[in-house]
Amino acid sequence: MSISLDQLTKRYQGVPVVNDVSLEIGDGEFFVLLGPSGSGKSTLLRSIAGLSGLDHGRIALHGRDVTHVAARKRGVGLVFQNYALFQHMTVAENIEFALRVRRVRAAERRRRRQELLRLVALEGMDERLPAQLSGGQQQRVAVARALAHKPEVLLLDEPFGALDAKIREGLRRTIREVQRELGITTVLVTHDQEEAFAMADKIGVMNLGRLLETGKPQDLYTRPATRFVATFLGAANLILARQGTNGPRWGARSPGLHCPGAAGGAREREVVAVVRPEEVEIARSHEELFSSDYLGHGVVEDVLFTGALERARIRLDEAPDAPILAHANADGAILLEATRAQFEQRAFAISPGQDVAIGVRRAHVLPTPLSSFTVCGSNPSAVERLAGHPLLLDLSSRMKTRIRRYLEPTLGGSAPSRESAAALPGTTVIAAHRNVASDAMWLLEQGVEEVLILPEHAPSPQRVLIHWMDESARRATLAASASVLRHVAAEAIYVDVLPERTAATERSFGIRDLLDARSEARVAHGLEIRTELRFGVLAQALTEQLDESPGHMLIIGITSASQLTAELAALLTNPRWPLLLVHRGCEALAHSRSAA
Amino acid sequence: MREGQPTVLPGFGLTLGFTTFFLSAVVLLPLAALALLAASTPLHQLLDAVASPRALASYQLSFGGALLAACINLVFGFIIAWTLARYEFPGRKLMDAMIDLPFALPTAVSGIALTAVFANNGWLGRYLDMVGIHVAYTRLGVILAMTLIGMPFAVRTVQPALLEVQRDLEDAAETLGAGRWYVFRRVIVPAVLPAMLTGFTLAFARALGEYGSIIFISGNLPMKTEITPLLIVIHLEEFDYRGAAALGFVMLAASFVILLTINLLQAWGRDRMVRRGQ
Amino acid sequence: MTAAGAQPGSLDELATRPGRETLLAALGRRSLIGISVGFLAALLLAPVAVVFATAFRNGFQVYLQAFADPDTQAAIRLTLLTALVVVPVNTVFGLAAAWAIAKFEFRGKSLLITLIDLPIAISPVISGLLFVLLFGMRGWFGAWLAANGISIVFAIPGIMLATLFVTFPYVARELIPLMQQLGNDEEEAAITLGAGAWMTFFRVTLPKIRWGLLYGVILCNARAMGEFGAVSVVSGHIRGLTNTMPLAIEALYNDYDFTGAFAVASLLTLLAVATLVLKSLVERAGYRRR
Repeated sequence: MSISLDQLTKRYQGVPVVNDVSLEIGDGEFFVLLGPSGSGKSTLLRSIAGLSGLDHGRIALHGRDVTHVAARKRGVGLVFQNYALFQHMTVAENIEFALRVRRVRAAERRRRRQELLRLVALEGMDERLPAQLSGGQQQRVAVARALAHKPEVLLLDEPFGALDAKIREGLRRTIREVQRELGITTVLVTHDQEEAFAMADKIGVMNLGRLLETGKPQDLYTRPATRFVATFLGAANLILARQGTNGPRWGARSPGLHCPGAAGGAREREVVAVVRPEEVEIARSHEELFSSDYLGHGVVEDVLFTGALERARIRLDEAPDAPILAHANADGAILLEATRAQFEQRAFAISPGQDVAIGVRRAHVLPTPLSSFTVCGSNPSAVERLAGHPLLLDLSSRMKTRIRRYLEPTLGGSAPSRESAAALPGTTVIAAHRNVASDAMWLLEQGVEEVLILPEHAPSPQRVLIHWMDESARRATLAASASVLRHVAAEAIYVDVLPERTAATERSFGIRDLLDARSEARVAHGLEIRTELRFGVLAQALTEQLDESPGHMLIIGITSASQLTAELAALLTNPRWPLLLVHRGCEALAHSRSAA
Repeated sequence: MREGQPTVLPGFGLTLGFTTFFLSAVVLLPLAALALLAASTPLHQLLDAVASPRALASYQLSFGGALLAACINLVFGFIIAWTLARYEFPGRKLMDAMIDLPFALPTAVSGIALTAVFANNGWLGRYLDMVGIHVAYTRLGVILAMTLIGMPFAVRTVQPALLEVQRDLEDAAETLGAGRWYVFRRVIVPAVLPAMLTGFTLAFARALGEYGSIIFISGNLPMKTEITPLLIVIHLEEFDYRGAAALGFVMLAASFVILLTINLLQAWGRDRMVRRGQ
Repeated sequence: MTAAGAQPGSLDELATRPGRETLLAALGRRSLIGISVGFLAALLLAPVAVVFATAFRNGFQVYLQAFADPDTQAAIRLTLLTALVVVPVNTVFGLAAAWAIAKFEFRGKSLLITLIDLPIAISPVISGLLFVLLFGMRGWFGAWLAANGISIVFAIPGIMLATLFVTFPYVARELIPLMQQLGNDEEEAAITLGAGAWMTFFRVTLPKIRWGLLYGVILCNARAMGEFGAVSVVSGHIRGLTNTMPLAIEALYNDYDFTGAFAVASLLTLLAVATLVLKSLVERAGYRRR
């Protein structure tokens, strides 16, 4: 491995800007760090260069631990967004700077300089001053300068940021060619996904300081694991679907859409499917859909001609069995986006107001277990109050998903009726009260798998405590926790509680459980969690820890609804913190596995 | 806005007219008076005033002292600017605000205060006296006052240059393998050189023309600790207008040369920073 | 590219850099800070401290008595009066000059800027000398003024003129770069929307430049109240009539009335400190000097 980063964390004034990033970059690889501004990607790059210290973690370059090595001894070349050329030196002096520092003889310096100038196509510019060059030329000089001392790693910090589109194109090509010719491991930081696709062997997507996913551009585009990557890399429609035995079902009528990764499972559960706009087909009627599965009907809202492609936005019909978009677009309208190539436009021209049938050529189901929220309450005002809960609004907007409302009169009573309710999709949200355990129990018995219990005042959590009642709930609980933690800036702590008088051998089992939890979180979800072992009675030990400071959230994995009234009873009487219950029977386990 | 581009904004004639009129009345007319008086003075009389031994001695002190003071400020001004720009320490903000004190403090006040501090029985003069250094009423005192008066200029020109331009360049040099001393010599100093020279020149100009703070600490001994501005005042007090005007003319010429130097230095600094294609 | 307050290359980041916290670096930093603090303490703090120490050395009563002297009171009045006249005049001039220079292109603009800056480069003594040559007994207008019974030199008008000359550039020099940097877009928009010239100035330009203007006025005022050299040449040192505060200090000092001299000096020192505080506040309020 050329670059290997191990759990890098960097905080500014207590806020992590780089949050537990681990990453391996292979020899000769062109790696692109992609993320919005403020995602911590530049800070990460500067840490690799040695220009920014770390609070935690290790950096190795070609097997050499350089965590505490000064920038000048790391053997990296760094290219800055604003070139950072030495203005008082000529092009030649700039390029030879690193060689002069190393006391290389003049003849050798000249030879190397000419080689580099040829490489970046600036031959004969030796004696110019940077001020006499265009922006693109200056950046070429900067690239040559960064390569002069034959660094093992080339780092580029938004190198095209200050250039206009035409020059950008040419410089991109040059950098890619130089990189191939020298075979140098390269890391480029950018916020431009098109640039990332054009240059990368591999892309790492960062958001809020976390490295969310890494992979080949193609894989990340077609099979993202997170909502953020799905929507940040190109446009995406997030559609709520039901995952059954035969893959996702959009409406009630269309079974059997082919979808990779969907295999057997006992019951239907709600999932989030990514449908790229170019995978949407539009036809006059259901029968005329050519190569795709039927999604539903809709009305064309607007059509935008953009040259090669046409962009259309379609308002889906609101039939009871119609598919549902998970999130609103930028302007608040819930519209399906489609792009069509010229030949499609010729085959079937559309105009605003037209009624069309919509099909999906290809869909990808996200492995996240938290698909949407359904707010449940016994009367309309309670439902509305809960649907407007700040924490819930925050979560749903960050998760780009919707909040549905559902009225269930039997909730909140001391003994809810045993009549079966309609299947509640997604994560069910209920308000905390004294007897919330019986509500939760009833919901779980109806087949709900995640219940979020919200007290009236709950700030955005800073620490998330995780616990599962049984090892068989571990996988599902971790998956749900990962989903939550990607959308809140919080530390994750797994807590295991052993009885007060535990034998030494059993204690070692407890510690092994902790290690297992950590490694699974890291391997399966790229999530770093801390672990703590406590002794005592479960509910009491957890309550103590929750009360240590405000801003906690609790996630508990259970295997049977009866645990709510037994071991967890004390926790569930009027809880003061948001509490997410993840319920998985043994049979549901295989299913959630298959979605990942 | 480019030359010849029309603008809809009003008030050009009014403001420019007022500016030119006021400038002429307050600045240009008096200057013309001085120039004309100096020009109309017979040459031998002019030479008598300008090249008298007493005048020559005063030039030596004024120009030499100002040069020395500017050199001291070049070094210490850079150190202070560096400290303020690069280090975080308790009292940094206070120190930053204090730099402008010589500028805000009336020169008469700094004159008597410096004299009090550095007199042979003063707070610091007492200890300097023990090692045989006399500051008050000597040429050293003149240089000290000149240093004080020029200090803000030296610091305030270098400080922003150190703050703004250099961080990226230093980072670049560091990743290219340069040590800190090498970065300092080859990257930082060349880049802030125009600012340093501008600061030097400003400090020199200020020290050269300074009057108030010096006359208290210098003792004003003819031929020894008498600065040129004081000599002008003495001529005036003797109603020797022509002598005063002649000396004034010499000082004024020096000021023009300095002003020109500053403008050239700033143009040089700008040229080096110009980036085409942006 | 990072969250607010987390600037790459900030002082915080620099300190955490690997390979930075060597013994030598720490030593270098300490000695540089030490040198700076020592230099400023000897040159700035000690003089300011000595002003108050001397002013109060014979007790508060004696300090107050210094201000009971009618000549001293007259000096304070004259200084205030001078500032009251000079600062507004130069403010108006500064605004006009900045408007003409920043908003329009014309030939000779850079010459004009240089000429406006000129008084800063000229020795204050020469500034005073200019007015003596112009209005003094043997000056250009001396005979005519004497014939009409108008006295300028060795009288209050001369003091005001000299102060006007010395503080002439301060407001303009603060405003010109600021207005150039802010550009004409907003004013042009206002004019095209039908606003008149004065309305454009008061509603669009003035709010934008108010901190810079205040900054210039503060500096101008400090210089106007503290000017010594130029005023000394034209005033004639007539106690109770043409002595400003700085001149009163000199007079008291030369009479060996150190307590009195330093008492008046303490007032001017307070003015200087207040100027610095105000200046810092203005800077904090969002106006940064170039």
